[in-house]
Amino acid sequence: MPVHKLPLREAVWLVFSKDLLCEFRNRYAISALIMFALVTLSSISMTIGAVMLSDELTAVLLWIIIFFCAMAGLSRAFVQEQEAGTLFTLQIYLQSQAVIFGKMLFNIVLLMGLTVFIILLFILFLNVDFSLWKIFFVILVCGDIGIGAVATLTAAMVARAQGQHCLFTVLTFPILLPQFLGAIHATATVLGGNMPSVSQFIFMAGYDAVIISGSYILFEYLWYD
Amino acid sequence: MNNNVVVQLINVGKKYGEKQLFQGINQVIKPGQCLAITGPNGSGKSTLLKMIAGVSKPSTGLICIGCGDRFFQHEESVGYMGMVSPEIVFYHAMTGIENLVFLSRCRGVACSLQYASELCATVGLNEYSNKQLSMYSTGMKQRLKFAIMLAIQPSLWLLDEPSSNLDGKGKEIMGVIIDTALKQMATVIVATNECWEMEYASAQITLA
Repeated sequence: MPVHKLPLREAVWLVFSKDLLCEFRNRYAISALIMFALVTLSSISMTIGAVMLSDELTAVLLWIIIFFCAMAGLSRAFVQEQEAGTLFTLQIYLQSQAVIFGKMLFNIVLLMGLTVFIILLFILFLNVDFSLWKIFFVILVCGDIGIGAVATLTAAMVARAQGQHCLFTVLTFPILLPQFLGAIHATATVLGGNMPSVSQFIFMAGYDAVIISGSYILFEYLWYD
Repeated sequence: MNNNVVVQLINVGKKYGEKQLFQGINQVIKPGQCLAITGPNGSGKSTLLKMIAGVSKPSTGLICIGCGDRFFQHEESVGYMGMVSPEIVFYHAMTGIENLVFLSRCRGVACSLQYASELCATVGLNEYSNKQLSMYSTGMKQRLKFAIMLAIQPSLWLLDEPSSNLDGKGKEIMGVIIDTALKQMATVIVATNECWEMEYASAQITLA
């Protein structure tokens, strides 16, 4: 009988489903992220009262909260596996690409869910009007994919290092900066009631494509000794 | 299962910094044969197994895993092997059956819940198969590793101290499983210092 090789798509889905099941039962990451978003926004809301923030400040605030939520929770994708000792099991049983893309998918979905929650909090606490919501949605998706992809790759890089959490943020921020600034500018433009330029969208989507392609090429070197 | 897997170790050596763990290992292990790797603690038994598994690279030499005249690329060879090792750790948030089904599916084996349950019963875990791994003792986790080997039926069995933490009945079950694998012409490599485990071996490497 020939050896069955699981197609990459199915293997990615298996890793994603496994992470989702473990997160559903533990709720480590999601609880921490929701509390972080809730505490930050309610503090700001109570501090500034009825003062309206400018579009630029609102955009910066939104992406800073998303970024720090990502830093607080997304490193767990690999760090938790390393701490539990299950990383070796994945090395033995799965192809490397399935692991990185399964975890990337999980992180992006988690971040998108969290972003929806943060947006609801923005509407509730800061009375922000997202009138161009379709364009805004595209910006959020591009930004979240970028943050989720970079966070997953750097989490894989630091998983075996000491001082992982500090190293994770230090490594992720410079890599993420171009996408971060692009997302802030595009969000500020949308909040001002204007359409961002096509080049801004091309840049954000291109950045995501480069990071995902880079992960595909680089991860095997990180995965094996 | 394609039970024609040959493992060739050609002048294999491993060095950590200045320390030479082992060197010049040459061995061919054919289907239906069992190789025992023995040696004191820290001599590199587990390291050699990990190198054969492809998760660690030799400092010198070459490890070839193949079938007939063809040698596999690393990602392909992973699909032929199964490993029982103290370093294989399961997901504590999942049940025994869920771990078994997940890892079997990772290997492309469509393991149903019914079949997974039967395999758990075979290794003596029937009462605990639906309990989360956090409820398992170390011996029960070791039994689960063998249930996974039964599910994926690998052509190359890599066993690192396979009887560790097993009670008498567990060792008996493990013996039957290894014996059956050898009869089905699987290639078995076992790192051990237990005399009774070495009895399966037709060849031996002793690391200093």
